[in-house]
Amino acid sequence: LIRTAYQTGKAEYGAGSTRRELILHDSLAFFTLAVTTLALYGVTFFLFRSFESHREELAASWTQRGQAELQQGKPADAVNSLRASLSYMPDNYPSQLLLAQALAAAGETDQATNYFLNLWTARPGDGFLNLELARVTRQKAESQHAIDYYRSAILGDWQGDAVIRRRQVRLELIDYLIQLRRLPAARAELLIAAGNAPDDRQLDILFGDKLLAAADPQDALTFYQRSIADDPHNAVALEKAGRLKYAEGDYKQAQELLTRAIENTPHAIEAPADLTALARNAARLVELSLSPDLPARERARHLLEAAQIAQTRFDNCTGNAATLPSELQSLQTRWKAATDPAHRNALVQNAAGQDSLTQLIFDTERETETTCGPATGDDELLLKLSESTSSGGNP
Amino acid sequence: MADAVIPIPAQQTVAGQSTPAASVAAVLPQREERLFLLLSIFIGIISGLLVVSFRMAIEWLSVLLQGSAPAPHQIRLIVAPCAIGIVIALLTRFVFPLVRGSGVNQTKAALYIHNGYMSIRTVIGKFILSALAIGSGQSLGPEDPSLQIGAGVASLISRRVGLSRERLRLFAPVGAAAGLAAAFNAPISAILFVIEEVIGQWTAGVLGSIVLSAVSAVVVARWFWGSSPMFRIPSIDLKDPRELMAYAVLGVVGGVSSLGFAKALGYLRPAMRNQPQWFQMLQPALAGLLVGLIGYLGLPEVMGAGYGAIDLAMHGQFAFKMLLLLALFKMIATTLSFSSGTPGGMFAPTLFTGAMLGAAVGSYERVLFPHLTGSVGSYALVGMGVLFAAFLRAPLTSVFMVLEVSGNYSIVLPVILANTIAYLISRSLQPIPIFELFTHQDGLYLPSMEEEREEVDLRFEDALQPVSVPILPGSETLWTLKQFQAAHPDTAEAPALLIQCGDATWYAIRQTELQSLLAPVIDSSSPLADAKLESRLSPERTPLIFPDQPLASALPHFRRWPLLPVSHRAMRGALEGVLSLDDVLKRYQQG
Repeated sequence: LIRTAYQTGKAEYGAGSTRRELILHDSLAFFTLAVTTLALYGVTFFLFRSFESHREELAASWTQRGQAELQQGKPADAVNSLRASLSYMPDNYPSQLLLAQALAAAGETDQATNYFLNLWTARPGDGFLNLELARVTRQKAESQHAIDYYRSAILGDWQGDAVIRRRQVRLELIDYLIQLRRLPAARAELLIAAGNAPDDRQLDILFGDKLLAAADPQDALTFYQRSIADDPHNAVALEKAGRLKYAEGDYKQAQELLTRAIENTPHAIEAPADLTALARNAARLVELSLSPDLPARERARHLLEAAQIAQTRFDNCTGNAATLPSELQSLQTRWKAATDPAHRNALVQNAAGQDSLTQLIFDTERETETTCGPATGDDELLLKLSESTSSGGNP
Repeated sequence: MADAVIPIPAQQTVAGQSTPAASVAAVLPQREERLFLLLSIFIGIISGLLVVSFRMAIEWLSVLLQGSAPAPHQIRLIVAPCAIGIVIALLTRFVFPLVRGSGVNQTKAALYIHNGYMSIRTVIGKFILSALAIGSGQSLGPEDPSLQIGAGVASLISRRVGLSRERLRLFAPVGAAAGLAAAFNAPISAILFVIEEVIGQWTAGVLGSIVLSAVSAVVVARWFWGSSPMFRIPSIDLKDPRELMAYAVLGVVGGVSSLGFAKALGYLRPAMRNQPQWFQMLQPALAGLLVGLIGYLGLPEVMGAGYGAIDLAMHGQFAFKMLLLLALFKMIATTLSFSSGTPGGMFAPTLFTGAMLGAAVGSYERVLFPHLTGSVGSYALVGMGVLFAAFLRAPLTSVFMVLEVSGNYSIVLPVILANTIAYLISRSLQPIPIFELFTHQDGLYLPSMEEEREEVDLRFEDALQPVSVPILPGSETLWTLKQFQAAHPDTAEAPALLIQCGDATWYAIRQTELQSLLAPVIDSSSPLADAKLESRLSPERTPLIFPDQPLASALPHFRRWPLLPVSHRAMRGALEGVLSLDDVLKRYQQG
């Protein structure tokens, strides 16, 4: 068409071209160009749509494959699949996230960090991205960066139940702080988490556990007790509180809590052997208690029983040895004095004598532990009572 | 034979010769200028559409031939480029004989040798064969072919509309800018590259059209592909200026590496072309086999344009050794593919190699100096620009290209520094730029900006001589002058004199002319004795010229004037010196 128009125009130039003819020629040329351009656009648009849809299909199929491989614990394969997916849909955010996660799971920490950082640049307030960055920087032992990212994740945007996700992130941060032995910071985060949490017996136990790990047994006990108050038959809370009380040296409370824990353990689940043993020990420790707070008669009875145990341990330890180390010789002398029947009879009325005998029992258990090896049974419990005494507790 | 030598068919000059341009200009004086601008927009749009289709074709063919996720040990990685190599060789030999090479030199040849002519067959051949080559995995890029496709579209349209030969010539760079802008999604870089590499000089006449076509093409490309930059890296916060040293090291590495790349191409390309015809037919297949083997054995990233791998490098996804391997094997693969005569471009491989080198240098430096704030991505990005500046020898384009493809201005300082260092090293080690080397190998000598940079423009001040000729005041009467000449015979012997006119202008007069003016004055009573000299001169005056103007511009004036007084820019009428034709010629002969 252009050629025809041009030929026409050319001939007419020869015959004395006019302005109008030139304008007509050029208009026709541009009209033709416009039609050609539109036609080309139509074809390109049609092809492009088909091309895009094909790319989307390929991207979706590789993403699915990568996701499956990630779930199957094959992160290296997942990385390849997700990279293939992203080559077709480079801006697909879920695939980008999956790839970054796959890289992290495959141990490619630097690459994962870079990838997450790149995504983070576009979405610095994204809670999930900050959490993932915290995890990868944690793997790289960049603790302060990790903590910063954790805090950004707590303050960041979350899809779904943001409150729960933020609490989970805070608990993860707490674990990390505990791991770093930054216990005051961990305790502060725990108190914030607990303050924001709803009344929930499971959460109370969780906070108790974390506080315990953060070297705050008193507050931990408080949370266990809160859980018990909410549900007096909660075996887990009872056990944890009982163990804490036991560690604290409050064997009476420990015995009660542990016994209740065993009683409330569902029938389908057998109480762990160590829990049963602990409850038994707690009961026995109550029986052996040499605390000065006990009534004098009862304490005297306990003392006599403990003295019998300690003396047997001493005799077994010394045996028929001709010569004894000086420490044991001293104990032998003290035991001879202590076994005087008159002395024993006066024990009920003699508080000083009770204390002296208590000391002798504890000294014997400690010394025989050093000389003759670890104590067992009641000796072990007496030793525990002696340790409670030396740490300021009640024997 | 040279891939840039294109026979000019008779049709090419039809529009230019048979259209009586002068008479058309008389009827519609602004017609060509307006058509030129309007056509530039159409050229931009159509080139944009074709480049979008070209990229689609490459990606489609890539999936078809290499699979949707090429990985090592896939046998198709060897089979596809090898088999397609045979097809390319046959088509190049029997159907599209002019499609070999990248397309940049062909466009330049169209501009400077063929009056802007580029055949439609070449454009179609370039489209099909380049797409096949890159899609099958040959280590070549789509940008240079896009540039040639754009130039071809421009040539076709301008011929059909019917413009003067002068205008037809200028359409090639207009289309080239459109094609490149659409391929890169970077209008400024495309404009600069066309000026730096295709036109070879800054020219205001064509700049407006180039801008219009480039912008139109980019609008079309973004309509389809979106406006996101090609690569995204985090912003760089250059806290310590000393970190620039790290980028300077990258500039040195890039400059030296580009030398190796250029030497390899400069050696292998003519060596391959000097082989017998039957072996030349096998070369694309052989190159495909070797490139495929590199991919098969573990580096499929080097196959094709490699933009995916560049993106991975920018995100720090490759270890140091892998980056070095990729850079090395990409240079080898590209040298093989390009030297075999397979149609395809050098831009993408250059960017790929630069990105890998940059990332490698960045990774290494970050190990040595952990406090560096730049990411590996930033080094990869700067590396791209560095190799572009050093290898393709387009320093200005390289800077803007990095800014445009990343959309990140924060990297500008490292880019400028590293690119300049790389460019200077490359210039000193390899004086002839790679595209110029190719044209020389093809037996062509085309102008380039690099050549222009070497030229030293002489100015008036370089040939200026002190004023030694007599100066006559124009306000004096002819009788006074007659007496003066009688008293000073030397003024009558000087071949030329200067006359200072009243309005601070000058008139250079030949002795013969002066004598003819004074001849009628016999004595003080002669009719013209009281006439002032200035009033008897012709009304024209010597041109007002200054010492800093180009010396060449003086030459036309010597047809009229025996001498040219050179004026002081700040003092009207005051002279810095004079120039004669002899002075000018002597200065040019001195070199």
